[in-house]
Amino acid sequence: MKYLSALSLFFLASASFAQSYTVSGTMKDSTNGEDLFGGVVIVKELANVGATANSYGFYSLTLEKGRYTLIYRSSGFESKEIPIDLNANVTLDVELNYPKDVLEIEAVEVTGVKENENITSSGMNVTKFDPKEIETIPVIFGEKDIMKTLQLTPGVKTAGEGNSGFFVRGGGADQNLVLLDEAVVYNASHLLGFFSVFNSDAVKDVSLYKSGIPAEYGGRASSVMDVKMKDGNSKNFGVSGGIGLISSRFALEGPIVKDKGSFILSGRRSYLDLFLKLAKDEDIRQTKLYFYDMNMKANYKISNKDRIFLSGYFGRDNFGFSDQFGFDWGNATGTVRYNRIISDKLFSNTSVIFSNYNYRFTIGTGDDAFGVNSSIQDWNVKQDFSLYANSNNTLKFGFSGMHHTFKPGALTGGNDSFNEIILDSRYGVELGAYIQNEQKIGPHLNLMYGLRYSGFNLVGGKSYTFNEDGDQLTVEDHSRWESIKYHQGIEPRFSLSYVLTENNSLKLGYNRNYQYLHQLSNSTTNSPTDVWVPSSNNVKPQIGDQLALGYYQNLKKNVFRISTEIYYKALQNQIDYRNGANLLLNDRVEGELVYGKGRAYGLELLLEKKKGKFTGWISYTLSRSLRTFDQINDGKEFSARQDRIHDVSVVLMYKITKNIAIAGTFVYYTGSAVTFPSGKYEIGGNTIPLYTERNGYRMPDYHRADFGLTWYLKDKKRFEHNLNFSIYNVYARQNAFTISFEENPDSGQTEAIQTALFKMVPSITYNFKIK
Amino acid sequence: MKYLSLIFLVITFASCRKAIDVDLNDANPVTVIEANYTAEDSTVRVFVTQTSNFFTTEDEPTVDDAVVTITDQAGNSQLVPFTSSGNYVLTNYAPAFGTTYTLTVFSNDVTYSATCKMLAIIEQQPIFYDYFEPGPFTGDGGYIVAVSYQDPAAEGDFTSALLSKNGKKLKNLNDITLNDDQFTNGNQVIRPLFVKFFDPGDTVEIELRTINKKIYDYYTELVSLTDPNSAAPSNPDYQWTNRALGYFSAYPSSRQTVIIL
Repeated sequence: MKYLSALSLFFLASASFAQSYTVSGTMKDSTNGEDLFGGVVIVKELANVGATANSYGFYSLTLEKGRYTLIYRSSGFESKEIPIDLNANVTLDVELNYPKDVLEIEAVEVTGVKENENITSSGMNVTKFDPKEIETIPVIFGEKDIMKTLQLTPGVKTAGEGNSGFFVRGGGADQNLVLLDEAVVYNASHLLGFFSVFNSDAVKDVSLYKSGIPAEYGGRASSVMDVKMKDGNSKNFGVSGGIGLISSRFALEGPIVKDKGSFILSGRRSYLDLFLKLAKDEDIRQTKLYFYDMNMKANYKISNKDRIFLSGYFGRDNFGFSDQFGFDWGNATGTVRYNRIISDKLFSNTSVIFSNYNYRFTIGTGDDAFGVNSSIQDWNVKQDFSLYANSNNTLKFGFSGMHHTFKPGALTGGNDSFNEIILDSRYGVELGAYIQNEQKIGPHLNLMYGLRYSGFNLVGGKSYTFNEDGDQLTVEDHSRWESIKYHQGIEPRFSLSYVLTENNSLKLGYNRNYQYLHQLSNSTTNSPTDVWVPSSNNVKPQIGDQLALGYYQNLKKNVFRISTEIYYKALQNQIDYRNGANLLLNDRVEGELVYGKGRAYGLELLLEKKKGKFTGWISYTLSRSLRTFDQINDGKEFSARQDRIHDVSVVLMYKITKNIAIAGTFVYYTGSAVTFPSGKYEIGGNTIPLYTERNGYRMPDYHRADFGLTWYLKDKKRFEHNLNFSIYNVYARQNAFTISFEENPDSGQTEAIQTALFKMVPSITYNFKIK
Repeated sequence: MKYLSLIFLVITFASCRKAIDVDLNDANPVTVIEANYTAEDSTVRVFVTQTSNFFTTEDEPTVDDAVVTITDQAGNSQLVPFTSSGNYVLTNYAPAFGTTYTLTVFSNDVTYSATCKMLAIIEQQPIFYDYFEPGPFTGDGGYIVAVSYQDPAAEGDFTSALLSKNGKKLKNLNDITLNDDQFTNGNQVIRPLFVKFFDPGDTVEIELRTINKKIYDYYTELVSLTDPNSAAPSNPDYQWTNRALGYFSAYPSSRQTVIIL
């Protein structure tokens, strides 16, 4: 409570008492009516006064009575200046236009307004992408993928070759909160990581928060990746799609009632398995391997003050082998939202969110068949308010309650000597409440400070206790709503930016995050069968603390941006496994876990060119990620797998003519930390490797270049289309995916065998759009 | 997780393997003690060696000057005499079922010891076998044998089943089938040993050992070291004091033989 009164004191001290009025409204894209999240409005006559549109495009700005020029702008759009004589509260809905031709952007720049939000915004830099900006960047299999593009930015590391899983600033892959229209996505990849679940046709934008995480987000220790789906074109009907070598996608969008409501439906399916039918090998011919997903969203403006949104995602991967073996997995999410503009200063959003992830195995046929099922399901109710108190303070507050159901697994059917195993379901209630203020103090200082309270109550089911060797001591049954363990924490969030000049600034961020759900994975690749376990009487919540400092500079009229960030992250209650741990279908899995701590620190440099024919960025990260567990490595600190010391990405995009754009990327990183043997011995005639330390060796360094060419074919009046050619791994570098040690059958000598996944992968995709 | 590897196999039509040079450190030699006390022939067999360089093709160095003793629950010790190159053997040492034995090895001024309980025998019933058609998971197909026994009523029985084909023991770690009665407690167990296909005419013997939980865990850890996808392999938990590698297992065995027709 002490914090709260301090907060309100801060807030009241800066409130203004002069006669003032509010201008509020929405900012939209003029071509399709999409809300412009993150669009800004500034006042030409006043320094450091402005407002930012929230994720529904709503903005509100309170100024003293007077004449002003408001400048509206959003990245990728032409700015718009609107003079205003403010002597009453007004509603002003603004639509921004695209530059007439992309080639003219530069011209707009010269005459236009400084675009330096990156310097003046209060939060630490957020990595934000719009799928449009990155469509020419080459990716594997030609399927543009926002998660893989994020991996080319500083501080974000890929989980592996071609993989959409990622690590942020030394944190684990499960420490990223991945949200799709507010719903948690538990497994964000298809085909074991080669595709992300986010269909770029359905995605409006993606924001990745690496530090200074706003208080409205909670639940994971390292980062937040917030994916927002398109609302659909509220002006015209449109069809778009793409046909690629191994997958195709299709989207339909249009108004429900023009300018009042719209919808979008999109789907994808891969058809790699159709090619498998052509294989010579009988086994491969019988293999079934595909994924599909569908996104749906609709919104409708009931009145000028009320709007509802409905969004959903359903995706599934299917893998099978004739009728002997089947394996399928996928996510389903649904979000219902109700926006209400309560007053010109107060905006409310209420959401009801559903999320489900499950996987199924079936093995064998007939009487001998048996199957495994596992799922995690959430229901979440969330209430958020934004109060645009005055031109210097924007207050956000809200609360949420989420109910989790964990079904860790059931083994059914099968041969008689096996008992049917149905692991007990577990239930958790996760609570959150937050308050945060964004405050401007004078022309130079911007602050964002807030607190989040989070709590997790594990209720019902069984609870176990274990001795220090992990052997079970007791087991206790609990009724459905009986609390087994309640964990809670206060999460301070703070960021500050100090604008030195209009071209450079300093920023500081601190955040603490609690994580109550933990993913268990004991193989080198992420797998659909990785188990999520809740915090309990044995498992404590993970806690991440991060302090980050950044310096940002824009050069040559904001054509170039340079950013330098350093960070230190401390992680508590990290989880690892005992030797030979069995994570699958084990109701005493908590006995297999050991707990330790981690730390990560690094330096990130980014040089970016955002405008002109030639765009792109160069990023370099120098970082470490270390862990310490009493039971592992004799208690000595060791490298986490993602402890890659140097990480370089180069992305270059060049628009040669109006119709041809090329792009190239290059990545280089230090090989992942890995455990190799340092000797061997014999047990029962078998050679057993001797290990001396955890992750004491390195995989070979990884590097790769990709190339892409996009050819914009001749536009018809209402038809746009292009062909995209790409080559993944242009110089066919064989990057080690695994290294195993095998005996050469001829010489009897043990050899290190490297397996590389992809040499050169060319692909071609045809994209079209009917407006 | 073999299925997952299979998915990779299918996806990675372009994948490629090659031998590369990896520079491995040379760890200081560590003593390795493999000690078995088999009730069946009342014999204690101990093999003492040292670890060696990972890439060497030479045989492991043996330890021939150790002093090995076995002590029963009452505290009576008996020397396990050296026979040849690292081997120490004591015969005619009759087991007392349900009691704990301590094995001690003194070598290079260090004493290593471990204990193990000689459990009661679980009697094996006659072997079942069945033919499996060729297919993606069964290769060329063939006969699979199944071990069968009545699992005792109390939970916490651990067994290992070892195969011999035509009088020759299958020694590979992956040919050993370990069973924990968590899923089969008190049942009439018929456990197919999906490790080896047999042909008509083969004489197959199954040896069913009743083992301690720590030996079950030890073998589970050893087997997990053969999985190349394991993210963080480490040595199995130490069974010996003073961090010698290896194990001490005292066990009774029950045998059945069948000729595949």
